[in-house]
Amino acid sequence: MLFNSLTFVVFYVIVTTLYWSFRGWELRKNLLVVASYIFYGAWNPPFAALLFSTTAMDFWLGRKIGKSQTHSAKKRWLVASVCMNLSMLGFFKYGNFLLLNFQWLLARVGIIYQPPHLDILLPVGISFYTFHSLSYTLDIYRGVLQPTRSLRDFILAVSFFPQLVAGPIVRAGDFLPQLHHPPRLKTNQFFWGLALMTLGLFEKIVLADTLLAGPADRIFGYPGPLVALDSWAGVLAFAGQIFFDFAGYSITAIGAALTLGFHLKDNFRFPYAAIGFSDFWRRWHISLSTFLRDYLYIPLGGNQVRPFRMAINLVIVMFLGGLWHGAAWTFVVWGLLHGSYLVIERVIRIFFENKTWAGRPITRVVAGFATYGAVCIAWVFFRASDFTVASRMLTGMFGGHPNGDMILTTRELLQIGLVTAGVISMHWAMREESFETAVIRMPAWAITAIGSVMAFAIIFTQGTSNAFIYFQF
Amino acid sequence: MFFRKPTREEQIHGGPPLEFERPIPPAPWRGITVVITILVIAATVAWELYARWLGYSPTINDNEDLWTMARRKVQPESIVIIGDSRAWFDCDLDEFQKGLGKRPIQLAMPGSTVYPALADLADDKNFHGTIICSFVPMLFFAPPGSPPMERAEKTVKRSHNQTPAQRVSEYLGIWLEEHVAFLKPDDLSLEGFLNRLPIPNRPGARVPPTFPPYFGTEDRERRARMWEKCAEPGSELAKQIQQIWLPLFTPPPPPSYIPPDVFMAGMKEGIQKRFADVTAAIEKIRDRGGKIVFVRFPHSGGLKELEDKIMPRQQSWDPLLQMTKAPGIYYSDFPELSGFNCPEWSHLTAGDSVEFSRRLVPHLRQALKL
Repeated sequence: MLFNSLTFVVFYVIVTTLYWSFRGWELRKNLLVVASYIFYGAWNPPFAALLFSTTAMDFWLGRKIGKSQTHSAKKRWLVASVCMNLSMLGFFKYGNFLLLNFQWLLARVGIIYQPPHLDILLPVGISFYTFHSLSYTLDIYRGVLQPTRSLRDFILAVSFFPQLVAGPIVRAGDFLPQLHHPPRLKTNQFFWGLALMTLGLFEKIVLADTLLAGPADRIFGYPGPLVALDSWAGVLAFAGQIFFDFAGYSITAIGAALTLGFHLKDNFRFPYAAIGFSDFWRRWHISLSTFLRDYLYIPLGGNQVRPFRMAINLVIVMFLGGLWHGAAWTFVVWGLLHGSYLVIERVIRIFFENKTWAGRPITRVVAGFATYGAVCIAWVFFRASDFTVASRMLTGMFGGHPNGDMILTTRELLQIGLVTAGVISMHWAMREESFETAVIRMPAWAITAIGSVMAFAIIFTQGTSNAFIYFQF
Repeated sequence: MFFRKPTREEQIHGGPPLEFERPIPPAPWRGITVVITILVIAATVAWELYARWLGYSPTINDNEDLWTMARRKVQPESIVIIGDSRAWFDCDLDEFQKGLGKRPIQLAMPGSTVYPALADLADDKNFHGTIICSFVPMLFFAPPGSPPMERAEKTVKRSHNQTPAQRVSEYLGIWLEEHVAFLKPDDLSLEGFLNRLPIPNRPGARVPPTFPPYFGTEDRERRARMWEKCAEPGSELAKQIQQIWLPLFTPPPPPSYIPPDVFMAGMKEGIQKRFADVTAAIEKIRDRGGKIVFVRFPHSGGLKELEDKIMPRQQSWDPLLQMTKAPGIYYSDFPELSGFNCPEWSHLTAGDSVEFSRRLVPHLRQALKL
């Protein structure tokens, strides 16, 4: 079920009304479990069984880890959990990709092998719920979480519908404690949640789908060379689209959860005002970057190893982060690019961190725009369907096609320019604070005016229920 | 009020999980929400009244889910109409039911290539009914990757992959569209508004063609009828649409990145392939006892001149019938089917479509040996 669909509006109204009407906490939790499975099954009912089996297995393995007396026994059960989760993910998401690459490798040594094409339908949001579930056994193993006794509670932690299919990646350790005591209906929290949902849907329906998606799709789908202006416009459009699409989903999820009395953490913090790539990853898809940091980068040695090893660790983490997004080498290159950016940033820091000019505002602004430019270049690989498209786009962006085609209308160029300037300005204006503190400074009439414009714009736009980009991951 | 201001570390992540609560900015949220609700309802009502004042009335919008809904109704022996917007506007289901004995199912898709729908019916092993197929050369031969082809493929794909959620949304959407006039994505939406901004394009820019504004209504059976505002003789809307059809039906210049001779050779090859694919699909249907008839629906004015110039009958219609060995009805071959006026050069008015369908029925019966 998409947030930007009429089905969700009806579903949400019914679930929220019933939820706050029920007195018993256990009954409310049962309602949320049923609602979350309906939410998920509304895409493809059989996949709800897959979601349940993953959850049940991790529940059982979590108890085993918790009960194990020795470190080696804990480790065995954890390995079982990791293998189970990753093999599930591997089969559904990477099955065909692995087969094709195996075929390619065999062909390099002269063996012709025609693998069967596995007609695998990717369960929506599998990357997200696998990580929700996996965080449980990992945290029990790390000793920061006790296994829950309630399978129902764990099912709810993994499948809670606001964050189920496209994040934020909510760790069981962040969610399970919220199930201990029933939340009270707090008026301000409820209406603030609705305000966040409106903002999220505005970002998705108006900004991402209506103003940016069309030009981005046309530019990346165009089979010929493009002039620099159109190439850059396409990339900037995609940079804006993916932010508003994903941040819009996250904000809607956070808002929906708040209206039900649950607190989910931020997933974005004005990422296009990042100064440097470490800063970018502290602001972009925070739930994924911290997941990779805590469960992969730190176990690999984190910052406590020699610089060369640390650089390798960074590249490994970003390589896997890229692969997490999709079964294609373009995503791997996107991840490796970000890994390289992080390494280069560390090297630059060694040489220039203590220079007086490094802390000057102008240097920070230049560094910020350089970061944005490098992030946009990486987006080319993220969005391009293959390396031919990526190469053509990059050549166009750097002036390699002076006689290339111009395919965007002047109106679209203006649209992309205005939205890009708007998002960058907003991010710079708020980079040192949270969204909430920015809202505090606004008078009530301004909040009302902005809220009204956004809500009416959603109605005026008459969205077409385009899927969120991150659903495919 | 803030419950507790989280530390920077917590805001970013990884803070103590038990203590995390999102800050709620202190503001009169209940009052704000009430005022926003009132303002948005007022603005929406005003927008609705304005839309009705402009002449718009509530009607269903055509989309992939509505097509899917119609596709689900196809029975093994159904009569099915496929093709483009001419079949969509010009076929009256009541007249066809009276004359052919069965109520046809309208599966024509405006602005699309017919092949994906035809192939879908050919691949449906249960189907052995009758197909009435519209023929507009520029759409019929649209190459893979072109908007008419992609539109049709996407729609057919939706009919196979529609999720339960999309199905429910469609029923809710239909209910809303039957009651609200401003739900016209082509005209009365933000995108429609932006598309109409008079901003000149760069010289030499290969920008997408402009599509016609809203000019027809549709019911739950996907029966389209021309909007009265367009059907009025000499209406401004009809004149505006006439001028949109001309560039839309003019083949775009060959792409800059393919040599023209290679491109033209590819186009010719593509047309031959389409003939072959359509023939193969028809044979599949015939093998199961199904029938098909091609129909060239009325069109007029500058658009007729353009179509006849770009794709003369001898190079499109005649070889199609020859290769597929299917019967065909070309409206201008029959005096009773000629002489209809298409206000915007491409489609009949709602009234004329009924009369045209009545007159077409005997020809269909004869062609299909009913």
